[in-house]
Amino acid sequence: MNNRMTIFACVTIIIGFMVAVQFQAVSEPENREGRNMAELRQDLVAEKEKQQRLNEELERQREILYQLEQTEDVEEVMGDVITELQEQAGLTEVSGPGIILKIDVAFDVDYEGGAIRSVPPYLVRLLINELNIQGATHIAIDMQRYVATTAIREANGRTLVNGSWLSHFPLEIKVITDDPESMHHAMMSSQSRELFSYENLSLVSTPVNQVELPAYEKDYRVRFMEPVQEGS
Amino acid sequence: MWLPLLALIIGILFGFLTDFQISDEYSSYLSIAVLAALDTLVGGIRAHLEKTFDDKVFITGFFTNIFLAASLAFLGVHLGVDLYLAAVFAFGVRLFHNIAIIRRIFLVKWTKKSDSTTKD
Repeated sequence: MNNRMTIFACVTIIIGFMVAVQFQAVSEPENREGRNMAELRQDLVAEKEKQQRLNEELERQREILYQLEQTEDVEEVMGDVITELQEQAGLTEVSGPGIILKIDVAFDVDYEGGAIRSVPPYLVRLLINELNIQGATHIAIDMQRYVATTAIREANGRTLVNGSWLSHFPLEIKVITDDPESMHHAMMSSQSRELFSYENLSLVSTPVNQVELPAYEKDYRVRFMEPVQEGS
Repeated sequence: MWLPLLALIIGILFGFLTDFQISDEYSSYLSIAVLAALDTLVGGIRAHLEKTFDDKVFITGFFTNIFLAASLAFLGVHLGVDLYLAAVFAFGVRLFHNIAIIRRIFLVKWTKKSDSTTKD
């Protein structure tokens, strides 16, 4: 009897050991912190910048609130705010210093392949991201104003911006920025220029003192916002 | 009775404390080995209760079951067929069957005991 219990004990020890090992193997944490110091710092800096932006926004809104509280004539302040918001949203024509980017086809001598009909949308998106990183305030692609809801799509092998074709070359992208010279240099040395050349397209930037951007013509489709009625 | 339970706890502690690591691809073998071991253990308990326990059968059954289950899983991996499911199924069915028999044996013992106490 005692012998039997010893055998059982031996077996259960082995089972216990196997269960414990298996449990450890299964419950191994899968996603560990994989970022190194530099990446963590980068993330921290990005978060700080975000915080600063939000703080600035808050400050601006407080100022508007203060103005509204101080002035008797609320309508004027409201009008200013509306104009400012319309300008931000791209509903007004704007002009100012900026750069003009010209995208044209650039065939090398031994080019083999079909005709290039338009700029691929991923390149346009990439370019816009790069422009925004460089501090562009307003962008227009081929007389189409780029706004927050602008869609850059491809349909039938052609690229659509705001629902209209980008069908001719050279394609002009007008950008308004505070510092045209530095943006010009940044764009001429940017990675997107290289990527454009892979698609047999050339990207040329010219800084100008005055560039005019058209207003956004189509209706803004606002889906998730509703005007608040006072007192409701 | 308490010795096997104590041994189980010691085994688990030992497993956790030694920090023994196995790689992911072997964990399926280990899981099937655990299942085979549990099956043998429950079978042993049943045999013990039915008074048909044999040391040699138990020990050899324990090791061959583990080994065969793991090798079946291994073969399955190399053939591209989930053969370990066969082992899981066989052991699972037998495990439940044995547990049911053990439960019945205990139930019979318990009812006999309570009958005798009520008669007294």
